[in-house]
Amino acid sequence: MIKPRKTGRRPADTEADAMERAAAYLPLGPVAFEVMLSLAGGAQHGYAILRDIEARTGGEVSLHAGTLYRALFRLVEQELVEELEERPSAEADDARRRYYGMTALGRQVAAAEAKRLANRVATARDRKLLRQPRSV
Amino acid sequence: MSAPVLARLYRALLRGYPRTLRDRYGEEMARVFEAGAKDARLRGGLAGLLWFCAGALGDVVRGVISERLRASAAGLRERQVGEEWPVETSIERMHPLEGLWRDVRHGVRSLRRSPAFTVAAVLTMGLGIGANAAIFSVVRAVLLRPLPYEDADRLVMLWGEMTQRNVSNFPWSPPDYLDFRDQTTQLEDVAAVITFAQPLTGDGEPVQVQAGGVTTNFLSVLGVRPALGRDFVTADGEFVEQPAGAPAANAMVILSDVLWRTRYGGDPSVIGRVIDMGGNPGEIVGVAPPDFALHMPAVAGLASTVDLWTALRLDFVNANRNNVFLRVVARLAPGATLASAQQDVSRIAADLRARFVIKETSGLQARLVPLHADLVAPVRPVLLALMGAVVLVLLIACANVANLLLIRSVERERELAVRRALGGSRSRLVRQTLVDSALLSAAGGALGLFLASLGVSAVRFLRPAQLPRITEIELDGTVLAFTAGAAIFSAALFGLVPALRASRPAVTQVLRASGRAPGLALNRVFRDTVIIAEVALSLVLMIGAGLMMRTFSALQRVDHGFDAAGVLTFNVSLGNRFPSPEARRAFRDGFESRLRALPQVTAVASGLPVPLDGTLFHGRWGLAEALTNPQAFRQANYRVVSDGYFEALGITLVEGRVFTRAEIQDSMPVVVVDELMAASAFPGRSAVGERILVRISTPEPVWVEIVGVVKRQRHESPAEPGRENIFFTDRYAGLEGNLTWFVRTAGDPLGLVAGVRQALAAIEPTLPVSDVRPLASFVAQAIAPARFTLTLVATFAVIALVLAVVGLYGVLAYAVKQRTAEIGVRMAFGARASTILRLVVGQGLLLSGIGTVVGMLGALALTRVLASMLVGVSATDTRTYVAIAALFLVVATAASLVPALRAARVQPMRALREE
Repeated sequence: MIKPRKTGRRPADTEADAMERAAAYLPLGPVAFEVMLSLAGGAQHGYAILRDIEARTGGEVSLHAGTLYRALFRLVEQELVEELEERPSAEADDARRRYYGMTALGRQVAAAEAKRLANRVATARDRKLLRQPRSV
Repeated sequence: MSAPVLARLYRALLRGYPRTLRDRYGEEMARVFEAGAKDARLRGGLAGLLWFCAGALGDVVRGVISERLRASAAGLRERQVGEEWPVETSIERMHPLEGLWRDVRHGVRSLRRSPAFTVAAVLTMGLGIGANAAIFSVVRAVLLRPLPYEDADRLVMLWGEMTQRNVSNFPWSPPDYLDFRDQTTQLEDVAAVITFAQPLTGDGEPVQVQAGGVTTNFLSVLGVRPALGRDFVTADGEFVEQPAGAPAANAMVILSDVLWRTRYGGDPSVIGRVIDMGGNPGEIVGVAPPDFALHMPAVAGLASTVDLWTALRLDFVNANRNNVFLRVVARLAPGATLASAQQDVSRIAADLRARFVIKETSGLQARLVPLHADLVAPVRPVLLALMGAVVLVLLIACANVANLLLIRSVERERELAVRRALGGSRSRLVRQTLVDSALLSAAGGALGLFLASLGVSAVRFLRPAQLPRITEIELDGTVLAFTAGAAIFSAALFGLVPALRASRPAVTQVLRASGRAPGLALNRVFRDTVIIAEVALSLVLMIGAGLMMRTFSALQRVDHGFDAAGVLTFNVSLGNRFPSPEARRAFRDGFESRLRALPQVTAVASGLPVPLDGTLFHGRWGLAEALTNPQAFRQANYRVVSDGYFEALGITLVEGRVFTRAEIQDSMPVVVVDELMAASAFPGRSAVGERILVRISTPEPVWVEIVGVVKRQRHESPAEPGRENIFFTDRYAGLEGNLTWFVRTAGDPLGLVAGVRQALAAIEPTLPVSDVRPLASFVAQAIAPARFTLTLVATFAVIALVLAVVGLYGVLAYAVKQRTAEIGVRMAFGARASTILRLVVGQGLLLSGIGTVVGMLGALALTRVLASMLVGVSATDTRTYVAIAALFLVVATAASLVPALRAARVQPMRALREE
């Protein structure tokens, strides 16, 4: 895997710039993308991410601890995910757990990846691999 | 298996990850794993948990390999070097550890390239190492770890031996105990213990608990201090003479941790409380520590879990010397040895013999045995035999992997030759093969550890009877170290031959055009020897399993002399509820008639002890000669039974009659004996109407008349007929109402339980019903050790068989591969497919035939260790040997057929063209 240049945190200037910067991280690995999808709904701790992925995919994707944390390790290294200092909410808190959330860059990369995949799905529709979504 | 144990194993596996990742997320991974494991267990039960663990194991292995590869790839890029295998010139300049790391990386890569080989080798090692780790953890907990008492190796059991009557492991009477305690110079202190059922009433539901009656120094002799309150003091055990009708003196009580928590809610203020112990007052003075357990040899017949301890208030000085019931344990004095202490107690026993005629005539001796050795004596041979068996399995596994490595090393000959030609030093090539072996055995060790943890849970789940300290069995640091040792030992063993071979590849030959390695004659001999050894070793285990299977089926077919099916047994301990015999009798008759009125009940009786429950009442008997010569007394088992006992248990009357009602009501001195007793006392004639001398409720032996003879019953063990039996009526023995109840039903015995409780509650609500068990469960429990041994030996035999078959298949498949050209030539010259088939199968059968013969000879020598456990079959049983050998040859033929069929399908033209 190619490790992109560390970009640091700088103000996002234009959307085009942001997309270009995010593109350097694509494609995201399938595991990394699943993790980002889970975090898109808000910060979570490790086990919650696992359960979320499992629930979302109807058990089709079921990760073990090693795979999850290896992915988190890379994502944190690339500054797409950060370990949170503050806890999401007092009642759901568990002091022993670390919470993970998306960085602004991470959100852009995840969006770019989703867009990339959406393009592929659109192509599949064009070529009649998928039925057109019903018009509303 | 508990989640924390799994999590610990998982943490150990995480060590494989690079430091950076592990330091940051290791702890969290373990926690997520634990949560996942709990979840999987909840959702999918044991199968779900296993599936989850298997997945997690795969995940770690995959993760570790890919992280390590990633780390080294990053390192390589930084140095800007990359090569398929390490080029020696650059290697030599590296740090030695770095070179080793490259070997590891190269090894992992090449193992990944041949997944079938890797899986076979790792699985083989995993089975071998796992079996060893599992059995070793049992051996360690049971045989090696000291008992959980202070300086446990200084503790000894003091047994009585009646040498003239061939009785060993005899208990002592209270005054005998005093003599030993007061006269010894080599024992620091001497304590005594008995266990008995004790009703607890007053606080809610009446229950029956196991009590340990002890001398006041018992805990201090073991070096155990109460967790709460105080230990017993001498005054707690003082005998208090009671005027008739006066309330009994308080019995001093130390609660077990479990009873304290369950019945008294873990309340520290129970100290000083007076409780109702079946009509007698008991005063709680302390609570024992949570881990305190009574570890006593099974022959002592003591309960293994004790709910409360009470200081025996006995008239130790004036008690009858013929009433023996105390089990005595002592601590060696500082400076004393087992031998000097033995001399000491022998001297005291000699003094006892001089003072009491009966002790002289029975040939009483005192014998000291270290407590731990005594405790494990019944299981030690089995455990050692098992340890031997699993070492054999590991040797088989090593042989198999050595073989696989050899086959592979021939395939890699070209690679090694190239490296040698490029200047790779011999030591580097040897190191590479050793690293390959180490990698395999490390992976095998990890898998083995996982399998062992499953095995340990299985053992704890099966709870084999007679295996002491079973709850202490665990995979601890020592077992981990042992496993690592086994893995290293195996790696050295199976890695050595291929390593030596790698040190001298035939460079010029191999590098010539065809590149086909010549099959060296030496290799072939080695491989064949390995296969023969495997076959022989697995045959030994299979024959052991076959003999155990015959034993087990013989035990199940044994005629016990009584019909256990459909009988429910239980106890009603009266305590002090009915002090007078009349009241006891009234209770007994009332309860019995209520039991008879229950639906489906066909017979009700009571008796003691329960057949096959492990307890025996030793008694003596004699003929007229014994009146003048006490040495003429002989030993028998006394049994006390109620009216209708023989009918209720389906025991056949051989001669005479059973007790009449009148005989029972008038406590007449009559007995029923079994066939063996009749034959011993009155050989060649009828025993009915004859008289014998016995002593059960009288101070001295008295005459009783034999009214009937019943068929033999197996009371002591299903494996052997045992000693003579004499049956007394409960009233004559003065035990009525206090016997175990036997209720025969036409339906399921356990269906009676509610009815029995109601029947008792209707007439006596304060008394508890306890020890409710079908009689058949005593029979099952008696054959449980054989069942457990059979399960284990059979498991290992199957593992060994699978390994041997895989080995055989591997060798033949390889031979066929190497001889493809030769087979092609033969077929081109007109050989039929059937000829080729016969050729390959013949080779397989020759190897397994030789192995079978060697294995049978080995079994003849080795199954002798099983001899003491065998029943109804000899250790050299021809039928078992022949059947197992035949079975093995059938399996070997099947294993040979697969490569043989492949050989027979060789197309001559293609085979020749490839050459």
